[in-house]
Amino acid sequence: MERIEQAVILAAGEGQRLRPFTTSKPKVMIPIANKPILRYVIEAVAKNGIRKIKVVAGYRKEQVIDYFGAGDQFDVEIEYLVQKQQLGTAHALKQARGKVSGIFLVLSGDNIIEPDTISKLIQPKQKTTILVNEQKNVSKYGVIEAQDGLVTSIVEKPKEALSHLVNTGIYAFSDEIFDLIKQETDLTSVIRNMISLGHAVQTCGATGTWLDVVYPWDMLQLNDIALAKISPVTGGTLESGVSIKGSVSIGKGTTIRSNSYIVGPAIIGENCEIGPSVCILPSTSIGNNVCISPFTIITNSIVADNVEIGPSSTIQDSIIDKGCQMKGHFVTQSGETEIKVEDEYHQVHIGAIMGENCDIGNNVVTAPGIIVGNRCRIKALKVLEAGIPDESLVV
Amino acid sequence: MCGIVGYIGAREAQPILINCLKRLEYRGYDSCGIALLGETAEVHKDAIRIEALERSLQPNDSQAGIGHTRWATHGKPSGINAHPHTDCSGTIAVVHNGVIENFLQLREQLTSEGHTFRSETDTEVIPHLIEKYYKGDLEPAVLKALADIAGSYAFIAIRAGCDELVVARKDSPLIIGIGDKEYLVASDVPAVLDYTDRVIYLEDGDLATITQGTFKLTSNGKQIERTVHRVPWTMEEAQKAGYEHFMLKEIHEQPRAIQNTFAGYISALEPEIDLGIRKDIDFDNISIMACGTSYHAALVGKHAINKLVQIPVNVDMASEFNYSDTILGKSLVIVVTQSGETADSLKALKKAKELGCYTLVITNVVGSSATRIADDILYIKAGPEISVAATKSFVAQLIMLYLVALAHSAIDTRSRGSLLTELRQLPNRLYEILDREEEIAGHGKYLAGYDNIFFVARGINYPIALEGALKMKEISYIHAEGYAAGELKHGPFALLTLDTPVVAIAAKDNTYETLLANIKEMKARESPVIAIAEEGDAEIEQYVDFVVRVPKVDPLFSPVVNVTALQLLAYYTAKERGCPIDTPRNLAKSVTVE
Repeated sequence: MERIEQAVILAAGEGQRLRPFTTSKPKVMIPIANKPILRYVIEAVAKNGIRKIKVVAGYRKEQVIDYFGAGDQFDVEIEYLVQKQQLGTAHALKQARGKVSGIFLVLSGDNIIEPDTISKLIQPKQKTTILVNEQKNVSKYGVIEAQDGLVTSIVEKPKEALSHLVNTGIYAFSDEIFDLIKQETDLTSVIRNMISLGHAVQTCGATGTWLDVVYPWDMLQLNDIALAKISPVTGGTLESGVSIKGSVSIGKGTTIRSNSYIVGPAIIGENCEIGPSVCILPSTSIGNNVCISPFTIITNSIVADNVEIGPSSTIQDSIIDKGCQMKGHFVTQSGETEIKVEDEYHQVHIGAIMGENCDIGNNVVTAPGIIVGNRCRIKALKVLEAGIPDESLVV
Repeated sequence: MCGIVGYIGAREAQPILINCLKRLEYRGYDSCGIALLGETAEVHKDAIRIEALERSLQPNDSQAGIGHTRWATHGKPSGINAHPHTDCSGTIAVVHNGVIENFLQLREQLTSEGHTFRSETDTEVIPHLIEKYYKGDLEPAVLKALADIAGSYAFIAIRAGCDELVVARKDSPLIIGIGDKEYLVASDVPAVLDYTDRVIYLEDGDLATITQGTFKLTSNGKQIERTVHRVPWTMEEAQKAGYEHFMLKEIHEQPRAIQNTFAGYISALEPEIDLGIRKDIDFDNISIMACGTSYHAALVGKHAINKLVQIPVNVDMASEFNYSDTILGKSLVIVVTQSGETADSLKALKKAKELGCYTLVITNVVGSSATRIADDILYIKAGPEISVAATKSFVAQLIMLYLVALAHSAIDTRSRGSLLTELRQLPNRLYEILDREEEIAGHGKYLAGYDNIFFVARGINYPIALEGALKMKEISYIHAEGYAAGELKHGPFALLTLDTPVVAIAAKDNTYETLLANIKEMKARESPVIAIAEEGDAEIEQYVDFVVRVPKVDPLFSPVVNVTALQLLAYYTAKERGCPIDTPRNLAKSVTVE
């Protein structure tokens, strides 16, 4: 088949299991190593020579558009298509009818991939091809059974592992797909119907990274993996006595003040003020316009844009979303804990998970695994032992 | 006020000219036209939008040409009055932005010499003058023509058979974009950003002769060189991307615009602001001059400076100052202009300088005319603003004025520190308002059903009521008036009925209680009232019909959040009414005529 030159990226989903982070932003805009997930997808597609990209946006679409614009910065041409209601992947793809022709890629915008991941798929063997990936634990994926490279069945979230091949949600399709989508809302049902109608559906193995974010703590794991690949850059100003070890990227306009100690892999965005005497330890991402006061230590954490962290704070294994303001002596305890998301319990080792624009008083301590909603206000000297919903006031 | 473009190079000129014109549509759009250079000067023009002109064109392989998009000043919009204008023979074609003041005399004289005029425009005298003086070389003919002309101009002349563009400027903006073996000429930078980021800003008295490979610049007869600037903007910023309108895109860019404006000036650690402007200026009062939306920013600036610096501040509309006998005294004069090209503001700037005042300009456009006149410059870093209705440049101007006030402030360090902390957090507060867009859209739909709307506020938000009304009227065409809340009862009350909704900005400052009293008076006249009120203000709900919530900020900065809510309100009202939001009728962006 000919080489693929167009891609449709599905970026409309909300990602409810990632709350509080997806209350105000779509899942594809979750930052990993200071880049939204969708950027990894767009860069991977661009590196494979695909310039014409249709992005199907929906939930909080303005944030996607504000970040990616017309795509010039990424050397691609982006056209946005709007899925008003998030009714599933097949319905999302339908929005691209008439916008693409011949063979094209369909990708989900919420998995981190690398250029290698899709390099084989851009020259597919069949006009319907699924990119598959081997996973040990398949229970949360669509599992694929194949014979001689052709798909025989897809089972969503199977109780037992029928095979270890999972559907990555990345496909090559021809424009015939638009006639095959009937009442189905998700693409796996469409493909299942295609198989039963006798269409050949090819599998193609992914060669590079394919990472999925389902729960907030997945973000830390992905951040760790993504940071391992950053290259050291110093765009800002380092005052005297600053120690930098390992791979650390520092954005322009950022000032690292005296006696700060930074160990990579770590990334610090633009226009930040760090220190004096701040310690940033591995696998930490700090966004843009972040201000960190003296004697604070941050390790294995994600701190989003416009956050201010007061003096003598300890932040570990935590995710702090944009715009939060902490006064001094804020401590996130980290440890093994059980977190309940949508009636399921998960055993994880984590610190705090904090939504955006929270206002935290002096000497607040959070127990491991505490989820703080968006725009919460916590007065001084509080110990949070349980999660709190959006807009809570703790006095 | 119009936009002009020119191209000479190795590519087909026609599509490039059309594309450049589209980027200048904000400067005027009642008619447009192009002329392509070849054996003849082939002119296509009409009183239509650029898209319509584009559809009517046949392919043409000419590699040089000129184009124009018009906002009528002399002569109504029509095909005849559209540019380019030509001489009697139709071989010389000219596009012009500006006003030829002595065109009536010149026209009489040229008519008596046998020239035939077709249009009612002042511009048409230029091609006829060039025709009169043409002796085989275009440039000397243009020079002689210029000697006869009084007024302002930026124009491009071509003549069939001469492979060159001759370009001149006086008091109207003009830039030359330098591409790869090609040159572009335009009224403003966004027009050429698709092709190059290297530009030369022409100055008054400059004349350039440009061929496919060469470029000669003279100033008052002497050959000179001018600096080639690299434009920090990208085409990306000047595109709508996924938005339906530039205005909405630009409202969404506000958090970044203000972030960029204060970045580098303020620090979390040190509550000092160094704006990098001269500090040894001796003044005992500040005079701020501006037009339109910038004037409203200036009025907020006055409140901020009065509060923080305790020095008399006077705000004038530049257009009024120019014809008044205002006494300036030992003033620091601040001129606020987004484009740096607004004719009235430039005139005020020159007048203040002549009066011996130290002048400071606050503008968005690097290298613009105002920056070459003023003693000191502060750039807001809003990025290119395309929508005619100013939004992000307004909030960035507010931020810059706050910085000026804070830099000169006489308040104690602790208070300054806490204001700076608030200022740094303002981008977050704007993101919070943007998160509530849908809710505001609902109120916009509601207002779309009315013919008259009042906007009221007190104190530092009074200018925001004016700005809210201006946004509403310019894009939704609804009659809207901004009033100081206390002034309503001195007349305008007579207009309040069930059908005149009032938008009241209820900032929690020392004006809050009296504003509540005013709201009660309005409710007594049965007017529907929408309040713009901060989160947590439960009291307001009992007096008004709807509440638009904005985040709580220091009262000093409340104009920034309140205006963002009002911009969105105007946008969604206009959208509901199906108005052409980015290009409202009869308006153009930078007003380069008085």
